[in-house]
Amino acid sequence: MSELELAGVEGRGATSAPKAWRPHIVALVCNWCSYAGADMAGTTRLQYPANVRMVRFPCTGRMSPLMILRAFEQGADGILVSGCHPGDCHYVQGNLVARRRFTIFRSLLEFLGIDMQRLHFAWVSAAEGHKWATVVEKVTTAVGEAGPLPKFGAPDDWQGLDLPAVEGDGPPEVSSDELAQLRSNIRQAAADLLSSGQVGVVVGYRAASMAHQMAPVTITSAAEAERLEWGSGCVNNLSTYASSALENHERVALVVKTCDLGAVTGLIREGQLSRDRVLLIGVQCSGVSTGSEIAAKCLDCSGTPHPICDLVVTVDGILESPPADAPDGTDALDPRDEQIAHLESLPADERWQYWQRQFARCLRCYACRAACPLCYCSSCVAEKHRPQWISPAIDNRGNSVWNTIRAFHLAGRCSGCDECARACPADIRLDLINRKLALEVERQYGALGLDAEEKTALVDFREDDSEEFIL
Amino acid sequence: MDRRSWTIDEAEMRHWLQALIDGEMIVVAPVEEDGVVLFRPITSAEQAVVEPSGKTRWSPKEFLFPRSEALYRYRFKGDRVQLEDPPPVGRPQILFGVRSCDSSGLARLDEIFLSGTKDPLYAARRESTTVVSVACSAADAECFCTAVGGSPVGEEGSDFQLVPINDGWMVRVVTDKGNDLVGDTADGWAAASADDLEQTEKIEKHVAEQIERNPVDSQWSKVLEGGFENEAWKRLAEHCLGCSVCAYVCPSCSCFDMNHEANAWCGEQCRSWDACTFAIFTHHASGHNPRSTPQKRYRQRVLHKFAFREDEDEPFRCVGCGRCVALCPAGLDIVDTVTAAVAAIREEGTDAAC
Repeated sequence: MSELELAGVEGRGATSAPKAWRPHIVALVCNWCSYAGADMAGTTRLQYPANVRMVRFPCTGRMSPLMILRAFEQGADGILVSGCHPGDCHYVQGNLVARRRFTIFRSLLEFLGIDMQRLHFAWVSAAEGHKWATVVEKVTTAVGEAGPLPKFGAPDDWQGLDLPAVEGDGPPEVSSDELAQLRSNIRQAAADLLSSGQVGVVVGYRAASMAHQMAPVTITSAAEAERLEWGSGCVNNLSTYASSALENHERVALVVKTCDLGAVTGLIREGQLSRDRVLLIGVQCSGVSTGSEIAAKCLDCSGTPHPICDLVVTVDGILESPPADAPDGTDALDPRDEQIAHLESLPADERWQYWQRQFARCLRCYACRAACPLCYCSSCVAEKHRPQWISPAIDNRGNSVWNTIRAFHLAGRCSGCDECARACPADIRLDLINRKLALEVERQYGALGLDAEEKTALVDFREDDSEEFIL
Repeated sequence: MDRRSWTIDEAEMRHWLQALIDGEMIVVAPVEEDGVVLFRPITSAEQAVVEPSGKTRWSPKEFLFPRSEALYRYRFKGDRVQLEDPPPVGRPQILFGVRSCDSSGLARLDEIFLSGTKDPLYAARRESTTVVSVACSAADAECFCTAVGGSPVGEEGSDFQLVPINDGWMVRVVTDKGNDLVGDTADGWAAASADDLEQTEKIEKHVAEQIERNPVDSQWSKVLEGGFENEAWKRLAEHCLGCSVCAYVCPSCSCFDMNHEANAWCGEQCRSWDACTFAIFTHHASGHNPRSTPQKRYRQRVLHKFAFREDEDEPFRCVGCGRCVALCPAGLDIVDTVTAAVAAIREEGTDAAC
């Protein structure tokens, strides 16, 4: 599709604005306020630029970020989203939920290199014809200054950029004797659980065919516990397999690292897993790796099992209840935050090139989705084709929309286990995108811990949520 | 055809590569991008990563069978519709530095797209493509070409071959197309000695020893087909996540889907890669899905590589590059799967005839 030329938006993708170029702006407006406000502007005979094409929705709450992405992908240079003022929503709270969604989505697009001159939000009531005209004027000027939307596609002759190296100590190393002890303790724990009938199935790790590589294994008898292994190759987040293991069993035991627990909590929080039906075997971890280097997520982790685990396996043995003073292993710091800060310090078009080059590698194998424990939808939006929001053509348009919406659907929910980035055969830095969103959600709405009762940020709202960017 | 061969050093190889780049054809070679080695069109010989061993993250098949390509386009002109053919295949291309497994993979693609009814788009690209393969002096951890009938110095699918010997290269013509690549450049090259040619065999033996896999037996195809319903498949494919890493990095996977892209003014019918490991691959409009579980879908992929062959001389469709083994997020190993499936089927005795 890279060569699909869209009539009416010719000149899109040009490096310098052709003479005849005028910004194409799509306005997504709510039926009750902003559309009526625009109508008011018309009947009042107000003059304002004619660059805006309006799409009417029942409510800002109905506007999916996919619609914004699709408009950009189809050639819009700028987008205006407008609806009722907070408190005026005809569906009571639609715009309040939308406000959070747009706050986070906006930061995502900014991180991916969309110039914020192109994306605008406004509250315009039915009586504010003048405000509508002013907003459109402002938006048209801003988009005009930003110029045509940069090209979707791998940048030509772009040297790439070096992100700061990530550093950290990582969890304490274990000796080979200690590793053998851990392995033996895991086997013991699994065998006990299965033979006592506490669980019907254990999902753990087995040795895979390549050196140091581990693969998931599901065992249902104590005799099979000998197959369980432990080591730096235990990368998979096994909570991905919890629901399939429960198809034939009442209760499943999962061998977990501390970084896997956010996903378990997420599944419980979202009603995908019952806490009673899962038994967590937390194992002391010395960091995982797929190659020669320890994974970035491990650099700031203590490797100590978290107290929410039901059993804790350490070198010393199997503990029924973890020591109360155990550090929880999770840490607000992440060495990759410096890389994010570096990217944020660059001009938007540099970031655009940085991500477009990576998205050009995307094969749309959906390994990111498959490996993600929280991507559990039985039918994914990527496969919907009536209407088709995401082009299945494997090029930068569809790839950019896919990678953006995948990250956004995880915003406020992502547990940071980095399975998507690990599974990606194209080494797209999905971990940075997820982390950026987590930081933004935390900054705006507070951190989400390992409490399954807590609501995630984007299904919630507060009347006084920040809205500094809304016109 | 004259099977000429020479021995050249690294500088001569790079010099020749630069001459090719400066010529009429587009040169596509492995380059490093953000730490990933991939095939890309290159503008300078320095960019190319041509080493005695090691392979790209995925195969070069996308230069013959693109991830997505338009089959036709249309445009509304008033009340009329104007149909357009896809753009013609551009300048001829050289795929430089293709590993033997990958060039075999191209031969497998040829079988799909060029036998029987020829696919015109693929045929046009294949016709204008010259493949320069490079033999391997060492096996990567995931490699198993020798277990599936391939060879680290195999010439199948290639037009010209580079073999790493003595810190330099033994280079040889495989086809007329390959012969056309050397031209005058070869005048200054030293002819390869019998000893150099012998080294190729040594390399082959050395790499085969590094690959510790038991060979996949040609007769297993029938066993696998006979054990289609064997219970073992459920266990073997239990952890398949249903992505398509394996199919998309595979040199020989050739499945595609049609998708339509359109707006109010114009549109196109597009062919894009697809994979049998996806649930929607066989999802009928009625809602019925004959391959209803990830296990059935994984079995399909495995069998399509190792079974469903018309006769025993036909090569396996797996060329042994091992990428699916190295990149599977669930750590599944296609050779282990086949071996275990055959063992399970034989144990159950469903293959009494074999």
